[in-house]
Amino acid sequence: MSQSERAPCSPASQGRAAPPRAMAWRRRRTAWLRFWREYRRNRAGVVGLAGLMLFVLLALAAPLLVDPAQLSLTGAPGTPYQPPSARFPLGTDNFGRSLLDLVIWGSRVSLTVGFLATLVSVTLGSLVGILAGHFRGWTATVLMRITDWFLVLPTLVLAIALAAVLSRSTLTVIVAIGVTAWPTTARLVRAQTLAVEARPYIERAKALGGGHGHIMLRHVLPNVMPLVLAQTTLLVANSIITESTLAFLGLGDPTTVSWGAILQDAREAGAISAGVWWYLIPPGLAIALVALTFTLCGRALEGVLNPKLRERR
Amino acid sequence: MSAPPRPHTERAAAPPRRRQWRPRAGTLRYIGGRLLSSAVSLLAVMVTGFFLFRILPGDPVLAMTRGRAVTVEQLAQLRREFGLDQPLPQQFLDYCLGVLRLDMGMSYQYRAPVSELIGARLWPTVLLVGTATVLAAILGLWLGTRAAWRRGSATDRLNTGLALTLWSVPTFWLGLLLIAALATGIGPMPGLFPPGGMMTPGTTGTLAVAVDVAHHMVLPVTTMVAVVYAQYLMIMRSSLLDELGGDYLVTARAKGLRNDLVLRRHAVPNALLPTVTLIFLNLGQVVAGTILVETVFSWPGLGTLFYEALKVPDLPLVQGLFIVFSASVIVMNLFADLVYPVLDPRVRP
Amino acid sequence: MTDHKAVGRTPRRRGFLRWLAAAAAAALTVGGLPTAAAETGDDGVTTTLTIAESQPVDSLSPFLAQRVVSTSIHRLMYDYLTNYAPETNAAVPGLAESWQTSADELTWTYTLRDDATWSDGEPVTAQDVVWTLTTMMTDEAAATANGNFVTNFEKVTAVDKRTVEIQLSQPQATMLALDIPILPEHIWSDVEDFATFNNDTDFPIVGNGPFILTDYQPNQSITLEANPDYWRGAPKFDRLVFRYFNDQDAMVEALRTGAVSFVAGLTPAQADALRGEGDITVNAANGKRFQAFTINPGATTVDGEEFGDGHPALADRVVRRAIVRAIDKEALVDRVFGGYAEAADGYIPSRYSDYHFEPEADERLGFDPRAANAMLDEAGYTRGDDGIRVSPEGERLSFRLHVHNNQPENVQAARFMTEWLADIGIEIRGRYVDPGVVSDALHAGEYDLIFTGWLVNPDPDYVLGIHTCDALPTEPGAMRSDAYFCDEEYDRLYAQQLAEYDPATRAELIQRMQRILYQEAVVNVLTYPDMLEAYRSDHIAAIQVQPEPGGNIAHQDGYWSWWSAAPAEGLTSESGPSTVLIVGITICSLLVVTGTALVVRHRRATAEDRE
Repeated sequence: MSQSERAPCSPASQGRAAPPRAMAWRRRRTAWLRFWREYRRNRAGVVGLAGLMLFVLLALAAPLLVDPAQLSLTGAPGTPYQPPSARFPLGTDNFGRSLLDLVIWGSRVSLTVGFLATLVSVTLGSLVGILAGHFRGWTATVLMRITDWFLVLPTLVLAIALAAVLSRSTLTVIVAIGVTAWPTTARLVRAQTLAVEARPYIERAKALGGGHGHIMLRHVLPNVMPLVLAQTTLLVANSIITESTLAFLGLGDPTTVSWGAILQDAREAGAISAGVWWYLIPPGLAIALVALTFTLCGRALEGVLNPKLRERR
Repeated sequence: MSAPPRPHTERAAAPPRRRQWRPRAGTLRYIGGRLLSSAVSLLAVMVTGFFLFRILPGDPVLAMTRGRAVTVEQLAQLRREFGLDQPLPQQFLDYCLGVLRLDMGMSYQYRAPVSELIGARLWPTVLLVGTATVLAAILGLWLGTRAAWRRGSATDRLNTGLALTLWSVPTFWLGLLLIAALATGIGPMPGLFPPGGMMTPGTTGTLAVAVDVAHHMVLPVTTMVAVVYAQYLMIMRSSLLDELGGDYLVTARAKGLRNDLVLRRHAVPNALLPTVTLIFLNLGQVVAGTILVETVFSWPGLGTLFYEALKVPDLPLVQGLFIVFSASVIVMNLFADLVYPVLDPRVRP
Repeated sequence: MTDHKAVGRTPRRRGFLRWLAAAAAAALTVGGLPTAAAETGDDGVTTTLTIAESQPVDSLSPFLAQRVVSTSIHRLMYDYLTNYAPETNAAVPGLAESWQTSADELTWTYTLRDDATWSDGEPVTAQDVVWTLTTMMTDEAAATANGNFVTNFEKVTAVDKRTVEIQLSQPQATMLALDIPILPEHIWSDVEDFATFNNDTDFPIVGNGPFILTDYQPNQSITLEANPDYWRGAPKFDRLVFRYFNDQDAMVEALRTGAVSFVAGLTPAQADALRGEGDITVNAANGKRFQAFTINPGATTVDGEEFGDGHPALADRVVRRAIVRAIDKEALVDRVFGGYAEAADGYIPSRYSDYHFEPEADERLGFDPRAANAMLDEAGYTRGDDGIRVSPEGERLSFRLHVHNNQPENVQAARFMTEWLADIGIEIRGRYVDPGVVSDALHAGEYDLIFTGWLVNPDPDYVLGIHTCDALPTEPGAMRSDAYFCDEEYDRLYAQQLAEYDPATRAELIQRMQRILYQEAVVNVLTYPDMLEAYRSDHIAAIQVQPEPGGNIAHQDGYWSWWSAAPAEGLTSESGPSTVLIVGITICSLLVVTGTALVVRHRRATAEDRE
């Protein structure tokens, strides 16, 4: 694999003077442009990216679109279970709140949980992976044993157990997902670290007196980052689905509005058998769409970063 | 939904562990090593299971007696009965010895041995997971082959797109929609399948029972297959694409073999290997993933049992199921490790 | 041999598609090895009543069973000394056809009916009653479920074959409400350890109730057959099946398709949806249960030792009453229960009209945020900069509210309360936690506001008793109460009503007790939720509710509903699988076998090729 050459950050950055830095910037710019050109060739990836940006924008603009007071139970604008109408395009829930508002508002929590949980797991995974790849010997053995151990614990079961053990809050959900999802990343990162460290310039850096920290931070990390990025986008999709799953099993925080929580409310109200389909379909669809956009982006990224894969498409 | 490694990480096709394996090492040593490492994992799981659920909040004895008048003596008696009056190290020791004898304690809510409860619920889960896995594997392998063979075509795009979409859908939501659509019926279409359960009570006769169970299985199996087959499809597709680029295929074609023959005789069997391995690796996770499907469809298996136990919380039962779920992952991994060399002559020791 | 399906069956016309799909799946499942052909052809019509159930059985041993589902099944399997009248809940003869009590109320004599037999043909004798009660008095494990009934028992003796005498150490109000299934000694005396015997191995289980338990598949089904020899008359349905569902929606769908005939525990939305459907009758019964929250007035032990960390301001009755006045119970009924509940003031549900308490207009703590604000202003709780009030001692009025996260109606009510209390300058920090955590917080006294709720029995003695000073914990940690309430006047009235045998006077005393509870505002009842049930009227022609009118069907005190349920006209059982089906399955399995063979051959061929 030849990721390092096309990676946005060049590994050869020994110099500290200003002109090389400018050069480095220029090189990064061209690298990005090249990256984007290649990414653009993947149509599904572009669609995914567009969808993703739309959802993020929606989440950011939610306070402008929705009046939080209308999301309170006492300030609900409608009557319970109104079918979709001009006033409530997606109908109302069991308290008479607009489902469109709820779904828009819910994107904030769902995306936040998705991103933060991924951040936790990717950070943890990268850290363990790089350490295990850089330090061979018993450190690696111990770290990989721990990784293997977590890998055999069924993710969902562990996440459920953690969410049940800790108190109910969004933070708990983030931790439960983050702590269970990292081993895959750790394995990938370790493999990549081993590949990077086998390259001659790492030898050179070592010979020039670069310490462990220097090598890991300045050489390995930048080269592993692209891979981590691709992994991240895939994990976000997973995290959002897991969040809704935990909420569905009643392990979420009942006071926050997230897509999973809306589905859970719908189920508890018996919406399916009562024929209140508009309560059930929008949040589930939102989850599926967001997960899909992230997956499409992740695959496109992988394709760009791994030419071997790209050829196949 | 179970959250095994995402299917689209095509890199994960061949589990990395296998690469380190040297073909010349002794078979026995290989098997021994795998067995040992599985045993270590199992031990780790036991430890996790014990301490993880010790910190679950809520006094189990008070939980058991909620809503009733109980005296302090009765509480003490219950604590004695479940060994909760012992110091923690003693409890841990008893627990470890118990698990080795397949005795995982008494369930709080059913007042029956955990192992018995799990034993009774094991087969429905095995039936569900087995059927779903076989169907998902057949579907995934077949569609994956077709997609790879006609790479870039409309079929490929449709297949990949559909698989990815289904993969992105939350399992339980899909299950609920299926109930709403196929069990209740929409408009003039009547409900075709039962919304839950495994069997109509009172059914007798082998054939009638088989038919009845199969009828009840349609919706849960469909849900599981829909969510699981995507990753098999993606893996099959990518490993077949890998194979198609191989030199030996060029040779085979040069020999004058027909295209479809090349595919069927050479590429597919080789591409099957990593996929089949992955199916086994995933099986354990799929077992754990049945929690959602079983809950939605009231399937009387381990998943439902876990969900019920978690609500109480029935500590020994949750703990026992945790071990069973984790152990199934370990056993399946072990199986994949042991079977892989048999399947693939290239790595036979 | 007959082969019956549940009454709930899908009409024939959809049969074929269904069978086709089933056949395909079956072929894949069983690998196509149909050996025994199912017996078809019914000679008689068997009627089956299928009931949706969701709660797992804890044990089928009456000595151990505590869950409603299990005790309800025991009502069907075994006779009790007395029963509760379906119309009024009053005590009526059961296994005992008459009873007498001595002047000092310490000796009770029950005369058993002579036409009661066990399902294995043995007669039911006084010795069975003696054995059952004595075992509970002497064996700790046997006392697990109903030990509280026999703690006052001195001695139980069989005077003759039909007469049982119970001697008490002190008078006991529940002597005609002994919810103890009487067991056959000749079967049960062989049991070695009552703590582990679950009574679920030897079918049919020998009993003397209107139904006989013939099969139990944990979390799948419980099957009972009618007892044709039951002394009150045989039930009208031949078979009763409790079928398990985990998902409320799946249950309702099963009712719609007719796979089950009865569903309880509907949500308001489901009840509304089912109301509009033909062939389905919705029964919104007056609740047996109240939904309430209690306020921590300062936790103490019986000896007055203070513990816990309840908010000090809550010791002030004004704050407690202001909290109650800020809550719109009518809105809870509308919004949380979709109208299927009753806004409540008194402690005992209105279903028990004799004991139910309604406050007078001038003592009512009705919804009035302005009045609540005024009360707090006057008592010196001024609003801080953030709008939250501060007590004269400088404490912010910020309270924790513990809520069972598995009870949607409590969660929803709590979310409403949080918003309402904010209007009167009180901050609520919701603790939506596992029931175990709620109970831990209660027992440790580490809470401010906490949700609770009880199922109230026809005799309210128990729920009243938990608020006596006596029910306070002897040491921090465990108690039978759900509030640290203690009031001398209340205790005095409690003792008085216990000894009072005149129903009207007792009812009056009980109402006075509730007035004290209401005024102190420690135990605050919010609503009496309806019990929402539905059944297929094309399966069940008539069924007894309890009490009548306005009563419920599931989980009655007694066996009335299932015993009285009459099959609807034209209800027949479905025959076994048809010939078409068997042919279909055979074809499918042949296909699968051939396919497998082909694949295997192909595999072998490729392998050879490669070698």
